[in-house]
Amino acid sequence: MSTLSYKKFEDSDSGVLPDKMTVFQDCLQAFNASPVQAKRCRMLLARLLRLLYSGDSFPSTESTTLFFSISKLFQHKDVSLRQMVYLTIKELSKTSEDVLMVTSSIMKDAQNGDITYKPNAIRTLARVLDASTVNATERLFKNSVVDKNQSISSAALISSYHMLPVAKDVVKRWTNETQGTISASKVFLTSPVANHEQYGSQNLSSFIYQYHALGLLYHLRNHDKMALMKMIQSLSSNNVLKHPAALVQLTHYIAKVLETDSSLAGNFESYFEIALQNRSDMVALEAVKTIVTIPALSGLIVKAIYVLDTFLSAPRTVVRFAAVRLLNKISLTNPENIVVCNGSLEGLINDSNRAISTYAITTLLKTGNNDNVDRLIKTIAGFMDDISDEFKIVVIDSIRSLSLKFPEKHKSMLSFLNDRLREEGGFNLKNSIIEAIFDVIKFVPESRESCLEKLCEFIEDCEFTELAVRILHLLGNEGPKTSKPTLYIRHIYNRVVLENSIVRSSAVIALSKFALIGDASINKSISILLTRCLNDVDDEVRDRAALALKLLSTEKFDEARAFIDPGFSYSLPILEQKLAQYVNGDEESFNVPFDGSNIPKISEDEARAYEYKEKLNSIEESIQKESKQPKEEVSEFAKHNLLQQQYAQELSSIPELAAYGDLLRSSHVVDLTEKETEFVVTCVKHIFAGHIVLQFNVENTLTDLQLDNVTMVSEPDFEEFVEDFVAPIESLKPQTTGSTYVSFTRSETLEGCLFTNNLTYIAKEVDPATGEAAEGDEGFEDEYRVESVDIVPGDFIVPSFAGNFTSVWDSLPNPCSSVFNLSDAKGIADVVAKLIKDSSMSPCDSSELVGSHASHTLKLFGKSINNENIAAVIRFVYKESVGVMVKVEAKSVNAELGTFFANEIIV
Amino acid sequence: MTTDVSLYTVDSVIILDNTGNRVLVKYSNPPHAPEDSDSLAQRPKQQVQFEKSLFQKTHKVNGDIVLFENKTVVYKEFSDVVIYIVGGLNENECFLFNVLQGLVGALEIVLKYSIDKKTIQENYDMVSLAVDETIDDGIVLETDPSVIAARVSKAPTEENSIKIDLSEEGLFNAFKFARSRVADRLQQGF
Repeated sequence: MSTLSYKKFEDSDSGVLPDKMTVFQDCLQAFNASPVQAKRCRMLLARLLRLLYSGDSFPSTESTTLFFSISKLFQHKDVSLRQMVYLTIKELSKTSEDVLMVTSSIMKDAQNGDITYKPNAIRTLARVLDASTVNATERLFKNSVVDKNQSISSAALISSYHMLPVAKDVVKRWTNETQGTISASKVFLTSPVANHEQYGSQNLSSFIYQYHALGLLYHLRNHDKMALMKMIQSLSSNNVLKHPAALVQLTHYIAKVLETDSSLAGNFESYFEIALQNRSDMVALEAVKTIVTIPALSGLIVKAIYVLDTFLSAPRTVVRFAAVRLLNKISLTNPENIVVCNGSLEGLINDSNRAISTYAITTLLKTGNNDNVDRLIKTIAGFMDDISDEFKIVVIDSIRSLSLKFPEKHKSMLSFLNDRLREEGGFNLKNSIIEAIFDVIKFVPESRESCLEKLCEFIEDCEFTELAVRILHLLGNEGPKTSKPTLYIRHIYNRVVLENSIVRSSAVIALSKFALIGDASINKSISILLTRCLNDVDDEVRDRAALALKLLSTEKFDEARAFIDPGFSYSLPILEQKLAQYVNGDEESFNVPFDGSNIPKISEDEARAYEYKEKLNSIEESIQKESKQPKEEVSEFAKHNLLQQQYAQELSSIPELAAYGDLLRSSHVVDLTEKETEFVVTCVKHIFAGHIVLQFNVENTLTDLQLDNVTMVSEPDFEEFVEDFVAPIESLKPQTTGSTYVSFTRSETLEGCLFTNNLTYIAKEVDPATGEAAEGDEGFEDEYRVESVDIVPGDFIVPSFAGNFTSVWDSLPNPCSSVFNLSDAKGIADVVAKLIKDSSMSPCDSSELVGSHASHTLKLFGKSINNENIAAVIRFVYKESVGVMVKVEAKSVNAELGTFFANEIIV
Repeated sequence: MTTDVSLYTVDSVIILDNTGNRVLVKYSNPPHAPEDSDSLAQRPKQQVQFEKSLFQKTHKVNGDIVLFENKTVVYKEFSDVVIYIVGGLNENECFLFNVLQGLVGALEIVLKYSIDKKTIQENYDMVSLAVDETIDDGIVLETDPSVIAARVSKAPTEENSIKIDLSEEGLFNAFKFARSRVADRLQQGF
């Protein structure tokens, strides 16, 4: 207990929050008393604030009553009571009515008050004024802004800033005074009542008013680009600004200017060079932040990174954190720039702040490139002994994404993972290592045999049943594809002899899969092994062995194969949904067995393409996840699936479409109007085997107009497309959304087409009272032109995964190429992102990450709706004078598709 | 990334005790800004949730800074209280930390170097003034601890409210007061 609390007498219950009603009554009583007891009142105000700052609030009427009684305290002259009164008024002004009534008292204090509470009065003024009353305070504000006392000046500037949204025109009148304040020198005056025992000099200015003046001035000058520019330039070249916060703010403004006009970068280079050397770390940090985000300042990036490097060894946690966070951001786009910091980053891996060490590890691994990955992994292996399991998992995850990025380096990574696997560790760690190895096998096919070998060794001595089961499953799937499958059979059978029943039963299943190779001698030995399992003590193992033997001996070998190794998987979210429906249905539905045929099946390649995409992204997310709320995690893949399912259901409700067969592909949603027009129209293109259906979603945003018989008149510019039918929206009430469909027969070939669209409808006025159109209203016909819809190559393609892009590319026939020049493109990264979305293909070899501003190569792989492979190599060159130049090369099994892709992908 | 040019830097100042309960919590709510229903300032229930999970994440972890639910949070732990300053994700981390240091330094001066729950509660007037002198609804008012502390007035010391003023003005005031009282009584007809 401190000496301060020792003196108090009536705070025996200080741990408990004071009762709301008691405080309310006490306040009313004390504030209306005569004469007012200053000390008691201040204590009561503090209690009131304590209630408010603990989240309590008073209803409007009580708040107003309080407000009114507090205004009585203006009669008392005590300055320390008055300061407290202002704080309370400020807090209550949000919930009270009639706050204007204290304006005159406040104005009086703001003009002639004691310096202790004068700044408080000025700051409170902003809460009670509104757009109409602010006029009367012009003189007061002008005088206060130029006041020699920095507290008064700052208070006036901040109040003006708060008033900006409602009274910008009035505030503008003291632009000149604000401008003068930036360079004025002011003093800080202390009042006698606030004399705390402390060290340090008094009456020295802290220059914070420069920050406030600059902040206000920017908004006042915002409309006048020239004046703003002049201000920023003069402030950046002379040494007027002293306060670091003001310099940080100025750096923000410069960044804003450079965002819109990068040609001005040269003017500010010297400013940034000086800012990087600033004594205050926040100024240097802000300068670095700006340099790395604004491409035009890339000339300074080496110096900026040098500053970050020194920050990494700073004693203050916050500085280290900011630096490593920034480096992590740079590493996502330009990892080669920050290799110089690797030494310092390695030093941070054991930092006491968890976030810093996580950032350091992931950043380090991001800097890996083909040349230094091996060394990097060695370095990391060196300190693996010092860190906790939890951290090892972070490292393993980063290694995992690294191995996807650099498939050719899988050897060193595998040996790293293998070493970890042999060390002591808990289940979670081992699990993440196993996951990592699984991924390597999946996405780096050439690593398969060495991976499997490592895993086999691991299960020889594995204490975790769950992991052993997963590995056995994997061995069963991958083992038969290798050159020496018999090797694995031995390992698997060892499990049958040595392990518990759960592992034994999964080993039996794994064994049976080797029968698929079709080699008679292998089949024979497997049969022998399985027969032995028939005598197992556990019935599950016996059952599985019997089933496997039955399948092996069957005549119809293909049927057995489909059963053991289906080659596709069901879309799990939809399967779950259907099963739930089935289970929750009434008794009659149980008479029919569950129908699994209409659940979409996903081939392995498709599933891998999505999985690969998610895996690559996951590491970036894992860092952000720390800062984000745990959201409902629906993977992109599942979302995509559900959407397709939803479309399929909607379409199946239209009888005419029943004959079209399965929906092959639906495009993403294309906007045909601006978002804020009367009718918002979007379009989804559905491709069927012989047809194409355009779904137009129309939203009627009007409140007084109903649309009847809404149809879209779509005219193709290509006569091969023949319109089949139109499904109109019968009636579209105000502020509702509906869908109309137009169906065309398409030619078998994959070709583009442009549809010009006209929305036609009968408009009827709606009575706002009933929400219904008048009875006899015939309405009038009208039409509404929307943008046209283009059938693009992407509409015929689904993303797919290629483990080895180069070999796939070399194997495909029918090369075709074309060149485009996009003069208005902002940069390569934008074009790449758009192309990936438009083409709906999956980027390979992590080519979706754009490393340099000048040139880039994007590799895409996908499958057409007819299951034909298509691959594309797209090269970009960026020059400021000409924009982005693009060369598209496409190869496809289907020559038409390749040509179509190369010619039409960029529109 | 759009650069932020606003002066509204701090989203909230939060002081919690060692069980995660509120001691002083102030969410910035600029007086004339358009209401943003997404911001925590407008949603008291989410505020408590936010504080609870923030406390869980930072309790006994002397990290100084953490990114939490799309916010940058700088904090300092004392014997039985934690002081947090919450800002946007793109705020300058060092600036936010300077603000925190300013507030903490000022509290140290004002509370005579004993920052703990009991002292804060018993000097709530000075603590809330110090917070108010550091941050004015999101705008950083001052970061220098001694300047902030010097703006915080102490509670009035004397309670003897009846001071007899024997100057000419004082006597005149007393006479005026008496006259008004008598006039009141007369009007009420005794």
